Amino acid sequence: MATDETYKKSVEDAIANPKLSKALHLFGDAYLIARENAFKGLDFEAMRTELAAMKDDVRIRRKELLAEFIKNAEAAGSKVFIARDTKEANDYVIKLAKEKGAKLIAKSKSMVSEEAHLNKALEAQGIRASETDLGEWIIQLAGQRPSHMVMPAIHMFKEEVAELFTKESGTRLSPEIKTLVDHARQRLRKEYFNADIGLTGANFLIADTGGIGLVTNEGNARLCATLPKVHVVFAGIHKLVRNMEDAIKITRLLPRNATGQLLTSYITWIRGAVPVSGEQKEQHIILIDGGREALYESQVCQNALRCIQCGACANVCPVYQTVGGHVFGSIYISAIGIILTAFYEGLDKAKEITRACIGCRSCVAVCPAKIDLEEIILHLRNEVTKEYGMGVVKNIAFKAVMKNRTLFHSMVRAASKLQRPVTQKKSGGSERRIIRHLPLHFMEKDFTEWRDLPSIAPKSFRDQFNTILQHVTKPLYRVGFFVGCGADFVYPEVGVSLIKVLNALDVEVVFPKGQNCCGIPALYAGDTETGVDLAKQSVEAFTEANVDYILAICPTCTMAVKRDFVDRLADHPQWSAKAMALSSKTMDAAAFLENILGASEKLRAMDLVKDSGSTKTVTYHDSCHLKRGSNVWKEPRALLMASGHQIKEMKNSDRCCGFGGTYSFLSHPQISRQITKDKVATIEDTGVKIVATDCPGCMIMLKGAVGKADETIRCAHTMELLAESLNENY
Amino acid sequence: MPAPNKHCIFYRVYTIKSRRQCMTENNTARYTARFIESARRVGAEVLQVDSLQDAVTYIKDKAKGTALVPETSLVRRHHLRALLSEAGVDVFTEKFRNAGQMPGTGVTFCNFCLADSGTVVLESTDEEIRLATTLPELHFILVDPATILEDNLAAVEPMTTFHQGHAPKFIAYITGPSRTADIERVLTIGCHGPREVHILLVNGISSDLFEN
Repeated sequence: MATDETYKKSVEDAIANPKLSKALHLFGDAYLIARENAFKGLDFEAMRTELAAMKDDVRIRRKELLAEFIKNAEAAGSKVFIARDTKEANDYVIKLAKEKGAKLIAKSKSMVSEEAHLNKALEAQGIRASETDLGEWIIQLAGQRPSHMVMPAIHMFKEEVAELFTKESGTRLSPEIKTLVDHARQRLRKEYFNADIGLTGANFLIADTGGIGLVTNEGNARLCATLPKVHVVFAGIHKLVRNMEDAIKITRLLPRNATGQLLTSYITWIRGAVPVSGEQKEQHIILIDGGREALYESQVCQNALRCIQCGACANVCPVYQTVGGHVFGSIYISAIGIILTAFYEGLDKAKEITRACIGCRSCVAVCPAKIDLEEIILHLRNEVTKEYGMGVVKNIAFKAVMKNRTLFHSMVRAASKLQRPVTQKKSGGSERRIIRHLPLHFMEKDFTEWRDLPSIAPKSFRDQFNTILQHVTKPLYRVGFFVGCGADFVYPEVGVSLIKVLNALDVEVVFPKGQNCCGIPALYAGDTETGVDLAKQSVEAFTEANVDYILAICPTCTMAVKRDFVDRLADHPQWSAKAMALSSKTMDAAAFLENILGASEKLRAMDLVKDSGSTKTVTYHDSCHLKRGSNVWKEPRALLMASGHQIKEMKNSDRCCGFGGTYSFLSHPQISRQITKDKVATIEDTGVKIVATDCPGCMIMLKGAVGKADETIRCAHTMELLAESLNENY
Repeated sequence: MPAPNKHCIFYRVYTIKSRRQCMTENNTARYTARFIESARRVGAEVLQVDSLQDAVTYIKDKAKGTALVPETSLVRRHHLRALLSEAGVDVFTEKFRNAGQMPGTGVTFCNFCLADSGTVVLESTDEEIRLATTLPELHFILVDPATILEDNLAAVEPMTTFHQGHAPKFIAYITGPSRTADIERVLTIGCHGPREVHILLVNGISSDLFEN
C-alpha cells in the first residue's frame, strides 16, 4: 500500500498548490484557441484518419520498413544499431563515448533518452551530458523529470528558473524571462562547441531515404547535429514512416496540434554522414525497442504507437490541468502516458494513473492519430484490476450487488427509505455492513463539504412507470426506454418528462423491466465480468420488447448499449448478434427527437413561445459522452431553442464537469472537486440561472456543486425543460 | 505569335499552354502575398526589393559584426560576396568555425519557400551553410518569388527528388527566428538560433528549386 499512500499524497500536494493548476488552465484555454486557428481551412478529421491509416500500415510492415531504413541509412554512411531495450541503447552510447574519449555530450530533446535515464547512465561513467533544449536544461538543473511532452518545464515558474541558473552560473540573474533565455543562449553555446558528441532524438525515421526528421523551435537540435564531430540519433522504433510524403504530412499535424503553430521554427532533415570540418561526420542511429514491439503486438493497445508525441492529450485533460504531469504520469504523461508507462515501465508503475483518467474523452477528440485513448486505458484498468484487485468497496458493490438485479434494486429501494444511499442495513447481510464501513480510499472528511449528495428518489422510475398514462392514439413509433441508474433511482422525473415529450410528439414508450445497469461503472472500475453479465440482462430485456428504437437519457448508457454491449459480448455469438441488432437502433433521446422525429420543427409549429417575454435563458453544459461519445451537441440546443429557450453559451461548455461516475465518489474525489469548481465558475460567469444538460451524472455533480455555490441556479435535464414548455402551453 | 485560329487543330494546345502560364503567374503573385503574410506572422522581416543591389544595401544597413556568406553556386553566380564587401559588409573569409561562437550575421540564398507557413527551405549539406544559418544573431535570406510553393504538400516532390540516391543530405526548413516558450509558456524569440530573420524577395535570382 506504500505506493498508494505516496500517490495519494502527491495528489493532495498538487491540489494544495493551485499556482500550477492555474497556469495549466490558462495554457489549456490559450491552446484551444491557437489550435483552432492553426487548423482553419483544413479538415482535421480527414487528416487524422489518413495519419492513422499510414501508421497502421507502418505497424503491419514494420519489419520490412525497418530493414529498408537501415539499408538506406547505411548506404548514406550512417551506422545503425538496434537496441532491444534502453539499457542496450545506453551501453552503446557509453561504449562509443569511451572509444572517442568523449567527456561531454550536447543533447537536444529526446523523450526516449528520458525513458532510458541516459544522463544518469552517462554520469555514472564520468561522461557529462548537457541538455540544450531550454526546458530540458531547466529540469536537468533541477534534477527533475519532464512534466509535459512538448514543454518539459511547464510546471516551473521564472523565479525558480532564475534560482537554478544563478546557482549554476554563480552570477545573480533576475527572474525575467528574456534575461533567462539570453543566459541559456550564451551558456549553452559553449556546450555545442565543446561537446565531443551531439545527441538528438528523431521525429521521423524515413524508410525510403534512410534519413531522420527533427521538429524543433529553439534551434538546438541543428546545433547539436552540426557542431560536434559525432552525431548520435536516439530514437524509438515507432518513429518509422514510409517516405518523405508521410513525414511531411505529419509535419502538417504535429505543430498545429502541439502548439497551434503552422510549422515549428525548424524542421531539419538529415540523411547520412554529412561533412564536418572537411571530413565526414560519424553518425550513429540507435533504434530502440524498449517495449514497443510488445505494444505493437497487443491487439487492444497497439494503436497507442500511432502517437506522434504532440502532447495535446495533456493540454485538454482536466485531470492533467488539475494535478500536473508529475502526478498524472511517469516519463510520459497524461492519457498516452498511462499507456506507455504500462508498456515501457510495467503495469505496476501504471497502476495508480490508470485509475486517474476521468473518462471524459477530450483526449480522444483532439488526438491527431485517432487513438481511442480512453478505451485503451479502460482495458489497462481491467488488467490492473485482474492483477491487483479493485478494492473491497467496488468488489462488493459490483460483483455481489449489481449483478443481482433484484438485490440491487431492492437495496436501492431500501436505501431510499432511509435516505442514505446504500449504506444502511436492511436485511442484515454482511455485504452491506462492509459497505457501510467503506475504506474510502480518498473519501475522508470532506465528502459533502463542497457538494450536496443527491438523495435516492422516494419512488424509482421503474416503480412509477406503470402508473403513467400514455395517450398516444396513433403512435409514429414505439420506443424502448433504457432508463439507466441515474434516472431510475435519483432523477425519475427526467424519465417522466421524456414520456411527456415523446407522447406529445406521438411516440409511445415501452419500459422493459428486465433491464439493469448498463455496466459502465463496473467496467470503469476494471470489472469486465460484471459488465458482461449486466449487458446480457439488458440485451435480453430489450430484444424481447421488440421496439422501433431504444432511447437513453444518459449518454454513458447510450454508449454502453450502442457500442460496448457488442464488444463486451463478442465472445458469445448469439448474444453479440442480439446486441448488434439493438445497437443500430439505440440513441440518445435528444438525437432521436431531433434527427428521427424532426422535433424542433414540430415544437416550433406548436408555437410554444406565446410572446417574447416568455423566453427563458439557459446555458448548456455538454456532457463528455454525449458530445465526444455520440457527437450529439447541436440537437439539444436546437430542441431547447425550439421550445422557447435562449442559449447563452458558457466558456468551455464541453469541458468535463468532474463527475466521472465512481471517480468522483471513490477513486479521486479531490480531483473531481477541482474540476467541478472550474465548471461552476464558468456557469456563474454567464449570469444565467438555468443550466441545461443531458446527463444524470452531470446533474448529480452540477446540482450538488452549483447548489452549494449559488442556490438560485437550477440544473435541469433538457427533457425536463422541454416537458415544462409543453406544460406551460398545453 | 499570331492569335490561334479557333479551327486550327493546335487551338486547344495553345489555349491550355497560355492558361497554364497565366496560372503560374497568378500563383506566384498569390503565393508571394501569402508567403509575406505568413512569414511576418511568425516574426520574420519580409521586404520586396527591386534588385540584388537593393538587397545588398538593406543588408549593409542592418548587418552586425562579421558576415558568414557561404560560397554556393548562386552566391558565385551573383557575386554576392563581392557585392556585400563593396557595400561595406565585413564578409568573413576564413572557415566559419573560426568566426567565434556568436558571429553577427549570416547571408544565404535558399532553394524554395512554402507560402502557407512562411517557411524557407535551404539545402545545407555543406557545413558552411549550416554554420552560417545556425550560429549568427541575424540571418538574411534572398528569395526568388518564383520558388514559392503553395504549402508543404507541394514540397513533397522536390524533397523526394533531393533524396534520390544515397548521398548525405542536410535540409533545413526555417520558419521565422528561433523561439521558445519553455519558461512559463511565454513566447520568447532568439533561443539558440538567429534572433532575427530577414527575407528579401528579389525577382530573377533563380527559379531552380535545387539550386541555392
